[in-house]
Amino acid sequence: MIELYHVSKSYNRGKVRAVDDLTLVVNPGEIFGFLGPNGAGKTTTIKMIVGLLRPDAGRIAVEGFDIARESLKAKQLTSYVPDYPAVYERLSGLEYLNFIGDVYGVSKSDRLERMGKWLEIFELASVITNPIQSYSHGMKQKIVLIAALLPAPRVMVLDEPLVGLDPRASHQIKEMFRDHCDEGKTLFFSTHIMEVAEKLCDRIGIIHKGRLIACGTMGELKALVEREQSLESIFLELTEK
Amino acid sequence: MSGESRRGIAGKAGKFRAVVRAGLKSNFGLSLLKHRLLKEKKDRWLVPVFALAALSVLPMFYGIVVFIRGAYHLLQPMGQERAVLTLGILVAEILILLFGIYYVISAFYFSRDLEFLIPLPLRPSEVMASKFVIIMINEYLTVAAVVLPVIVTYGISAGGGIAFWLNAVLVYLALPVIPLALVSIAVVAMMRFINVSRKKDLLILLGSILLIVLALGLQFALGRSAGPGGPEAGSQALARWMASPDSLLRQVGSKFPPSIWATKAVAGGFSKEGLANLALFLAVSLAFFVGIVFLAEKLFYGGLVGLGETTGRKRRLSGKEMASRVSSGRRPRTAIFLREWRLMNRTPIFLLNGTLVVVLFPAIFILMATVNTGGRGEGGDAMVLLRMMTSVNPLYTILATALFMTVCGSLNGTSSSAFSREGKQFWISKVIPVAPREQAAGKFLHSYLVAMLGVVTASIVGAVYLRLKAAHLLAAAGLALLAGVLLTAVGMIIDLARPLLDWTNPQKAIKQNLNVLLAMLADIGILTAIFFGVKGLLKAKLEADAVIGLLYAALAALAALAYLALLKFADRRYPEIES
Repeated sequence: MIELYHVSKSYNRGKVRAVDDLTLVVNPGEIFGFLGPNGAGKTTTIKMIVGLLRPDAGRIAVEGFDIARESLKAKQLTSYVPDYPAVYERLSGLEYLNFIGDVYGVSKSDRLERMGKWLEIFELASVITNPIQSYSHGMKQKIVLIAALLPAPRVMVLDEPLVGLDPRASHQIKEMFRDHCDEGKTLFFSTHIMEVAEKLCDRIGIIHKGRLIACGTMGELKALVEREQSLESIFLELTEK
Repeated sequence: MSGESRRGIAGKAGKFRAVVRAGLKSNFGLSLLKHRLLKEKKDRWLVPVFALAALSVLPMFYGIVVFIRGAYHLLQPMGQERAVLTLGILVAEILILLFGIYYVISAFYFSRDLEFLIPLPLRPSEVMASKFVIIMINEYLTVAAVVLPVIVTYGISAGGGIAFWLNAVLVYLALPVIPLALVSIAVVAMMRFINVSRKKDLLILLGSILLIVLALGLQFALGRSAGPGGPEAGSQALARWMASPDSLLRQVGSKFPPSIWATKAVAGGFSKEGLANLALFLAVSLAFFVGIVFLAEKLFYGGLVGLGETTGRKRRLSGKEMASRVSSGRRPRTAIFLREWRLMNRTPIFLLNGTLVVVLFPAIFILMATVNTGGRGEGGDAMVLLRMMTSVNPLYTILATALFMTVCGSLNGTSSSAFSREGKQFWISKVIPVAPREQAAGKFLHSYLVAMLGVVTASIVGAVYLRLKAAHLLAAAGLALLAGVLLTAVGMIIDLARPLLDWTNPQKAIKQNLNVLLAMLADIGILTAIFFGVKGLLKAKLEADAVIGLLYAALAALAALAYLALLKFADRRYPEIES
């Protein structure tokens, strides 16, 4: 579960308001899609949830733990995938996964089982001892995803996770999203791909100029524009205003 | 000339200027600095710190000026005063050549902006020439400390008129062209015809070690050519050396004529000799520059293709291999330490400026101290002097050795770039469920291990070359290890206060990181304070044992305090750093 109450964040000494009084609750077992035009505040919101940025105002909690006061407990239950796979290029894939396993306290048997599964699915098993430096962009994205899955987190927060992935990997990720939430866990991700959000998400939030302008199931969003429309049309209509 | 072709030339020049301007801004981080100083008003406190640092080197500059003036007045009656200029110019050209190897390889082949420049509608020669100009500007700054005092002192001593100063400016501007062109030709040809792309790291490492070896070799050669003069030093020895007809200076000068032309151009002013040599120097420089542009058009991109690619062999691990290589749950602190160790030692720039420095520093010390031996087993005069000094008083021996060990172990960029080195990967440290103090402790272990390595290599030097007693060495090593905790913690605190995380070239994180410089200044300040503290104790006529005991106690207390302060600061600072 992710809770944000009246969260605000501005840059440049308050001149640019990136997120403005955002209140949002993502429930357990829910895939939540976060949409918005470029510069709307998606990445800023995500970075605040995982503790990379500090909100100027408001409160954020993950699985009931306040991320400012009980940050370690919240982090222990959360995995994050950034929009760009900036990882330790000089480590091998296996060394990186070992590092993540060590800091999250994943047992050896769990590591072997999960690594075996995800390395096969993402077709990285044959390059796992190579330095990450030698990986393509998509392969780096995959190793970050596997690292995020290694601790079997209660909450996953992903910033445009499908960018740069091949169709097979993209399909696997979407399956993983569903499985993850079917276990009663929470998943929050941002995307620009409307079809994915429409088909996959239990609920969708649209942020525009830092404010959450719409939030709900596909049915609720359609009701908002009072017409039977695709998510793309709804998005365009709402963000045009 | 038609209007169209004029517009074409103007357009080309405009494009070239734009590329150079963008390159300069990113090279020196001008836009970022301007933003931080003027907009965010974050780094304003740096201005007085730099002013202070600049003031503190003034006495050294004054010393150099006095030295050069002395040499000038000694040589003038013999009509040999121009040797002062030749020496300055020659040393500058050698420095340009040495640093050039490094600058050229990294700017031409390994700078990240090439990925953006190559697809632009620019000719290979324009890209390479823009890089060349940026390196030239770097070189002006590199050699300013050597050339400017020489030229200015000479000009003032000789009462140089406008002709002197004008020629001097022109010579200074053209000075890097010839040596840099020579380096560029060698590097571009090497990259084009030898497939080094897969050995990028090794190339940088070997290039840098070659640089150090060449610099040491030069030092050695200059020392030897000074002859068996003993510890005699100063202007007189230098003047005699420069005036002697078979001196190295003249030999090298005759083999590298541009330094002689430049000397005559500056000293000759507007006389026939001055103008002729100036024209010659500028014409040859221009010819070299044109040659480089021509070469770039033919060879530059050929060596670049595929350089960014690194490949690895595909190999699937068996179940057994996988089980042995998957770790079974290290403590987070150990995992952080291991990550630091691997990242530092696998990044050539970090390795060179951290781990290797602590090994090389004592080696350089031995070479410098034995520079006059000429193969004699007993060591050089400097070494004999050192041995004499250290045998006088055991207390001084222990203190001086401890200082030497501390300098070897702690005066490097390891601790003061501990956080900056993470760069864009710092997000990982922010999201993992490991307390900041725990992460700082893991990083401390790594930096301290490097410092300990320095203490060990310095101890070997002390034992083998200075033949110090084991008890003295142990006492000194204990002091150096305590001082190491203090200085490592201080370095890390400085870096944590303002980590430099936004870099693409690892050089920025350690070599061009202001925190490394600030930490060195802080270290020197701390060591100076300790020096005066010990001096006070000695003045109070305390026994040697008491002085050592008090120093141990003080250092242990300071070390503990600094370490605890680091952990506390990490807890406060990590959440503040936004990435």
